[in-house]
Amino acid sequence: MSATPTRGQVLKLYKQFMKNARQFNDYNFREYFIRRARIGFKENKDVHDSQKLNTLFKEAQRDLGVLKRQSVLSQMYTFDKLVVEPLIKSHGHSRGL
Amino acid sequence: MFRTTLRAASPIASRAISRPLVAKSAFIGASKFVAPIRFYTAAPVDKKEITSRVIDVIKAFDKTAASSEVTGQTYFHKDLGLDSLDTVELLVAIEEEFDIEIPDKVADDLKSVGETVDYIASNPEAN
Repeated sequence: MSATPTRGQVLKLYKQFMKNARQFNDYNFREYFIRRARIGFKENKDVHDSQKLNTLFKEAQRDLGVLKRQSVLSQMYTFDKLVVEPLIKSHGHSRGL
Repeated sequence: MFRTTLRAASPIASRAISRPLVAKSAFIGASKFVAPIRFYTAAPVDKKEITSRVIDVIKAFDKTAASSEVTGQTYFHKDLGLDSLDTVELLVAIEEEFDIEIPDKVADDLKSVGETVDYIASNPEAN
């Protein structure tokens, strides 16, 4: 329980954050959570104190739970695309069959 | 396996495309047994296309330091100046583009564009 999270675990957590954040339907929420995760992880990248790492890790896990729930909720509602969003989200799907 | 079947059978398929299935099997004839043709999926993407799509994703990624030239030999950390977090993020974007899931063990070893392209090419689910 009190073991210090390893580099791999942190990266895995970050990946989960990114994956879930990208799934938000709404542009503003999506961009916010991606930005927030980036800043949050970068901010603490030099933390080496195991006590603090532990606290941060647990906090992040709790946040991830909230993020997951909200991203699923967000997918239940439709949002109109904003003018700043490209219409073809991924060009790969527009290419041929 | 199915791809070869598909290729071999495609002239027949195009000829018989408007006919109902029963008529088609009758048309092919009793002399040779031909299994019903099943179309599963589009052909897998080739390496050149994967490379160009990966490069497009990297260029769209707003953190890349050297956005000038990205080739198969480009390394994420050395050439693009991405740290481990950025690399993870980039791989998530690539996963989304190709509709695949890169397991963590593999993702740790992907350090260059070329390696990523090779992995995607070896993944049958990539499209």
